[in-house]
Amino acid sequence: MSLHGYGPHLLSGAWLTVELGLLSLLVAALIGMFSALAKLSSITLLRFAAQFYTTLIRGIPDLVLMLIIFYGGQIALNQASEALGWGYININPFIAGVLTLGFIYGAYMTETFRGAIMAVPRGQMEAAFSIGMSQKLAFRRILFPQMMRHALPGFGNNWLVMIKATSLVSIIGLEDVVRIGDMAGKSLHQPFDFFLAVALVFLALTTVSVILLRWAEAHYGLEA
Amino acid sequence: MKSSNKGTMLIVLLVLIALGGLAYVYFKPQMTEMAMTPAPAPTTAPATTPEPAATPSTTAAPTTEPATTAAAPTSSFPSGMPAPGQKLRIATEGAFPPFNEIGPDGQLKGFDVDIAMAICEEMQIECELVKQDWDGMIPGLLAKKYDAIVASMSITEERKQKIDFTDKYYQIPGRLAAKKDSGLTDTREGLAGKKIGVQRSTIHECYVKKYFPDSEIVLYGTQEEANLDLVAGRIDATLTDREALDSGLLKTPQGAGFDWLGGDRDDRECYGEGAGIAVRKEDSALRDNLSAAIALIRGNGKYNEVMKKYFDYDIYGSP
Repeated sequence: MSLHGYGPHLLSGAWLTVELGLLSLLVAALIGMFSALAKLSSITLLRFAAQFYTTLIRGIPDLVLMLIIFYGGQIALNQASEALGWGYININPFIAGVLTLGFIYGAYMTETFRGAIMAVPRGQMEAAFSIGMSQKLAFRRILFPQMMRHALPGFGNNWLVMIKATSLVSIIGLEDVVRIGDMAGKSLHQPFDFFLAVALVFLALTTVSVILLRWAEAHYGLEA
Repeated sequence: MKSSNKGTMLIVLLVLIALGGLAYVYFKPQMTEMAMTPAPAPTTAPATTPEPAATPSTTAAPTTEPATTAAAPTSSFPSGMPAPGQKLRIATEGAFPPFNEIGPDGQLKGFDVDIAMAICEEMQIECELVKQDWDGMIPGLLAKKYDAIVASMSITEERKQKIDFTDKYYQIPGRLAAKKDSGLTDTREGLAGKKIGVQRSTIHECYVKKYFPDSEIVLYGTQEEANLDLVAGRIDATLTDREALDSGLLKTPQGAGFDWLGGDRDDRECYGEGAGIAVRKEDSALRDNLSAAIALIRGNGKYNEVMKKYFDYDIYGSP
């Protein structure tokens, strides 16, 4: 299989995919954690907001959300800035991609984390509070280490789905590995060669991920 | 968790209301826009004059749309030209050789790219090329990610609802191909009872249905499938645009035993107006300047120079 000199360009796309995936994962994990805590909170407004978020995001196809947020958001921004007499404000596609993917997968992470938190016996937190731990300390020392072992399988699952969903960003103008493979394949009338290369890139990424996840599961004591 | 059912229903209701609001916001401006510009007729006017060499001033005249009552979007190019220091951002796809494709280094090249550059040179403006995936091509233009599309986009009525087009900059004719020495002729009678393969829901399907009603028409998802079946002998002929047939079949090893059947096919009703440069509706002055620049490079030989680089026949079609 020859890549006709397009290899380095394809690799740069693979790197963008990795960057995008990791940053989106970070955003998704943060949103997911806060939203899971909100869902289990005693404050009605927080619960309601989190429920609204997960219902809305998980109910709309990723591609449609990407289009609405990136293009719809830009059009709304243009109208606002035009009305205010400002010039054109560009939404950076990379940042938009990270935020959008993070925002979408944060909803799935919410459910993963919520399930994990609920799997930790209630008595654990009650015991922590009874010996005078603050909310933050109890979360860090008691809840988080115990919930992670329940969260990791679902977390890994979400990550694998998300890294493949990064290819959606090509429609908002980013050149990830799928888009470059598509362009190169069509430019040379050899789509199969390039899609095979793209498939191998993803297989490599997911294989490394699976190994890291197994290590993390061992660390949080799930292997036992 | 007893109240969760009621809560979910409430949320679903709210989401529906929110979506309804969104839909209203998105569709409302379009409807008023369509109502305000009832007939985009002036686009056909320059096409009838063969040498509109230096008439950008006259073409600008009919576009007096001072109906800028309130919500009409303001043009990014009030003068029809980029302001000093402002670049014209042109989008293309990069996956449609030989019109637009990428080299090993990711650089754009192809007929569309060269034509875009020639036009910018003619207008003496600075241009910047943007790579954009086909699916986001029109949304990106509307969101002002770029100002013009030079990506072999066919001028269609459906697209004209949302965006505006310059005059065409090329129109590849359709052609039939069949086995060499098949003894077929490219007339209605000559192909009666024969099987003609075309790609589904394309301009070529329209054409074969109109001109070869006595033939058996076989529809395919892609032109490659039709080519494969032609080679396999399952169909007698196929019709698609000349370039696709030339580079996709006749110039390939498997197409060795095949040749053109008849000459160029042209039909305004089926084949439309060709490929044009797309701009936002409010940028009508820019559109007219781009149309004038196309006419200029057609006239001064620059167009032919670019065309000869990629094609050994005339792809502009009938004027």
